[in-house]
Amino acid sequence: MIPQHRSVILVGLVAAACRAGAPRAELPLAPPAPAPGDTTCTIAVGRATVRDTVRLAVTDPIELKHAPLPRNDGERLVFGQLYESLIRVDCQGRALPGLAAAWEQAPEDRWAFTLRENARFWDGAPVTPRDVLASWRSRDATLAASLTVTGDRSFTIPASAAPFQRLADQALAVTKPAPGGGWPIGTGRYWMTSGDPASPDVLVMQPMARTGQPVVKVAAMPASAARDALDGEAGVLMTDDPAALEYARTLSGYVDVPLEWNRTYVLLAPGRDKPVLGDLRLESLREAVHGDARPAEWSGPGRFWFTDLQACGIPAERDTLGTAGRRRRIVYNQSDRSTADLAARLVGLGALDRGAVAGGVPATAFESSLRAGSDAAYVVQVRRRVYDVCRAALELPPWISGATIEPLLDIRSHAVVRRGLPRMTLDWDGTLRLAPP
Amino acid sequence: MTFRARLLLGFGAVVLVPLTVFGLRIRAVMADRLTAEYQQRVSALVRVIRADLDQRSGGIALRLAALRDAIAQDNRFRSAVLQGGERTYLLDYAGDAMRLAGLSLLQIQDETGRIVSSGHFRNEYDQSDPALPRLLAAAPAGTALVEARGAEAPFLALARVDSLRLGPGGRRFTLVGGIAVDSTFLARLTPDSELSVAVRLPPDTASGTDPATQVVNAVAVPFVTAGDSARLVPARIVVSHSLASLVALRRGVAVSFFVAVLVTGLIALLLASWLSTRISRPLTALAAKTADVDMDRLDVAFDSDRSDEIGALSHLLAAMTERLRAGAARLREAERRLAMGDLARQVNHDIKNGLIPIRNVFRHLGQAAGESPDRLAAAFRDRQATVESSISYLENLASNYARLYPQPARESCDVNAVVRETISRVSNTGQAELRLELADGLAPARTDALVLRRILDNLIGNAVDSLAARAGRITVSTGVNREGGVRITVADTGTGMTKEELNRAFDDFYTTKPGGTGLGLSIVRRLVLDANGALRVETEPGTGSTFIVELPGEGA
Repeated sequence: MIPQHRSVILVGLVAAACRAGAPRAELPLAPPAPAPGDTTCTIAVGRATVRDTVRLAVTDPIELKHAPLPRNDGERLVFGQLYESLIRVDCQGRALPGLAAAWEQAPEDRWAFTLRENARFWDGAPVTPRDVLASWRSRDATLAASLTVTGDRSFTIPASAAPFQRLADQALAVTKPAPGGGWPIGTGRYWMTSGDPASPDVLVMQPMARTGQPVVKVAAMPASAARDALDGEAGVLMTDDPAALEYARTLSGYVDVPLEWNRTYVLLAPGRDKPVLGDLRLESLREAVHGDARPAEWSGPGRFWFTDLQACGIPAERDTLGTAGRRRRIVYNQSDRSTADLAARLVGLGALDRGAVAGGVPATAFESSLRAGSDAAYVVQVRRRVYDVCRAALELPPWISGATIEPLLDIRSHAVVRRGLPRMTLDWDGTLRLAPP
Repeated sequence: MTFRARLLLGFGAVVLVPLTVFGLRIRAVMADRLTAEYQQRVSALVRVIRADLDQRSGGIALRLAALRDAIAQDNRFRSAVLQGGERTYLLDYAGDAMRLAGLSLLQIQDETGRIVSSGHFRNEYDQSDPALPRLLAAAPAGTALVEARGAEAPFLALARVDSLRLGPGGRRFTLVGGIAVDSTFLARLTPDSELSVAVRLPPDTASGTDPATQVVNAVAVPFVTAGDSARLVPARIVVSHSLASLVALRRGVAVSFFVAVLVTGLIALLLASWLSTRISRPLTALAAKTADVDMDRLDVAFDSDRSDEIGALSHLLAAMTERLRAGAARLREAERRLAMGDLARQVNHDIKNGLIPIRNVFRHLGQAAGESPDRLAAAFRDRQATVESSISYLENLASNYARLYPQPARESCDVNAVVRETISRVSNTGQAELRLELADGLAPARTDALVLRRILDNLIGNAVDSLAARAGRITVSTGVNREGGVRITVADTGTGMTKEELNRAFDDFYTTKPGGTGLGLSIVRRLVLDANGALRVETEPGTGSTFIVELPGEGA
């Protein structure tokens, strides 16, 4: 049995290790898998006890239509159990086997992959290279076109097709459509059931193999109900709500594990003709938000990945609207409280001159407005870590190359983990996975 | 202007003018009374708003006092503002307190005017706004409208200020609290949809309403302007009552009035038309009958059973016609007697002229028989021719007089055929042009064809004579008269007659022609009258004469 203080130290070490090794935009080809017993990226709070069910609580909405590409921390937690990419990249940046059991350098500067021998979809069908090809075709046609099937379980792709680490991206998880438009069928250790009729709001995930792994039940709830989840004995609560975190710290059965600074909030302003923030004192921004935040900083080599996209060949679009053609407001996605707080603070500080206002709009309208660049400025959440900068740049508005980008804050979520829970591993992109026993 | 038009105009004036005056008066009275009522309602609402503002200001003051006491007891707040800890608690404090107190605006400032916590705009912390509490404190009754800054948009609030002191040095903190003056606030003040309440802020404090369409009153409220040059200026809460219902009512009255005028005018028109018709028709009939009256046509009846003025007029006309008839009969009798006297004298004269030779012959024969009977036979032979001549003269004379009394037959007569037959027998018209204008399908007349031929012979012969061998035109025409009979007209372009000649033209033995008997027109007149017809003459000296014969139709 591991003493409690040692568990806390272990968690602290995990966090410190991940912070130290994380911020690298591109990774070299990783060394072989960590040696057995390497717990660098493992979260274990107390001695694990056998459980039939583990309850996960998240304060973000989980939507089927996003699967398998997560849009928030809650979806990242859930989708990480359901879907697999070819490889994983652990919190140290080391490549680990995923759906692919092994890979090696092949002639003509190609990578040769061999799928896991027992890799199967949820429906029992074995996973073949053609399934990989079909799955990629809808998400990255160029990469799919470069894939060459070499055997029942083997295929190659050119090394120049994508950064190697990108093969760990959830966007390249291998799935196939489910009949009736249900959850995409994946290859992960869990599969999504139709749920519990008694609790229709709870997602129920069953383990693929009877290897002693518990059933996972996931409840999505508003932040205001996060404390109820802790009182209801949730195994893991993923949240950034300060009240819930403060409450968790008062509960001896839980440990608050800060996750990686995985998102940066930036101010995007179309055009570069006028400074948006000027000489405003941005050091007070951290107090404006309610989550765990810090001033935006890039602690690795170079700069934020989104500040220099010239190498991706994104052309600088001509600003046809101009300052006078835009509404003088700072727009944010109203479903993201941190963006609302930041926009309000910027208005309070006098950004865009006195008289400007903040404008919260629904997510879909926000996406449209951001694409059009019809407002003076936007507060946007951007992933701090991306496997492929140029692919990630496509998620930014088309006018990004001619825009003013001001990093504002880094924000992270916390995992409140119940003592005695099975171990979990943390990937480089912040994905938590229940480790097999 | 006709009698009917005058009657219509009269009716219009009598009906429409009072109706118009009545309608306009109703509209004016209605507008005055409703406007006065609206003004009373607006004034009452202004009083209510004043009382409501006072009440709300008192409520804000109570809540700020409660917050002041709570802050003074709150150690976390004290620690945050004096020691610099609990920063998040401090920033969220005003928001929580504002919601608990039921306020829409709450701002806590330190003694320098720095915002240490803001409820309505959490993230305006550390900004400086010292003017707001200072101006609110200077406002009358300590209450003013302020344009509070918000993250999404500024909003208007009714605000007050309070303060407290904390710490050993007695640091002064001010609390600015208020309630939103938004559409909900204003709607609660508005009892119905016709009353509206709006806030007019400087520089546009004019009511912005049209007095023609609204009744307006206002409450003056101090207002703290936003921005760096904040100051206290007057604003107005404007109460207005729409006159839309009055306008609609007036429009309704106008429509009703218009309809009433239209209906009344229509009724008046119909009534006037009916009345005028009822009055003018018998007058028109009387006029037509009167036009038919002349000396040859005095049988026009003016019978009427009416007891009104028209009946009286008909009776007068009937009596007048009756008197004319009696006078005409007396006149004809006098004329007849005069003619008979003339005829008797003429007969006496003619017979005497015929008897004188016979008397002379008998005197001669008597003398011869007395003195020398043997010469009686010779004397008789000498004077036999004289006796026979006188007897012949007397016989001719008797024949001529016998012609004055024909005995016409009453039978169907084709007038056009008789005219054509008569014309065909006229052999010598000299230079005169004889023209026929016969009506097609002319109904037959009831008269003797021989009589008609004699009438035509005389009239055409007179016409030819009147041309006196000069060139001219004689026109014989036929047609139907108003009684359904036949009208025969013989017109010439001859010498015509003077009035004196016309007065004697129908006398027996009156003639202006050398060798004339003077009986032609006299005979014509008697023949026409015996046929129950009428004879008229239209003549002008030098222009010609027109003889008009009207004969009864077959159905008469």
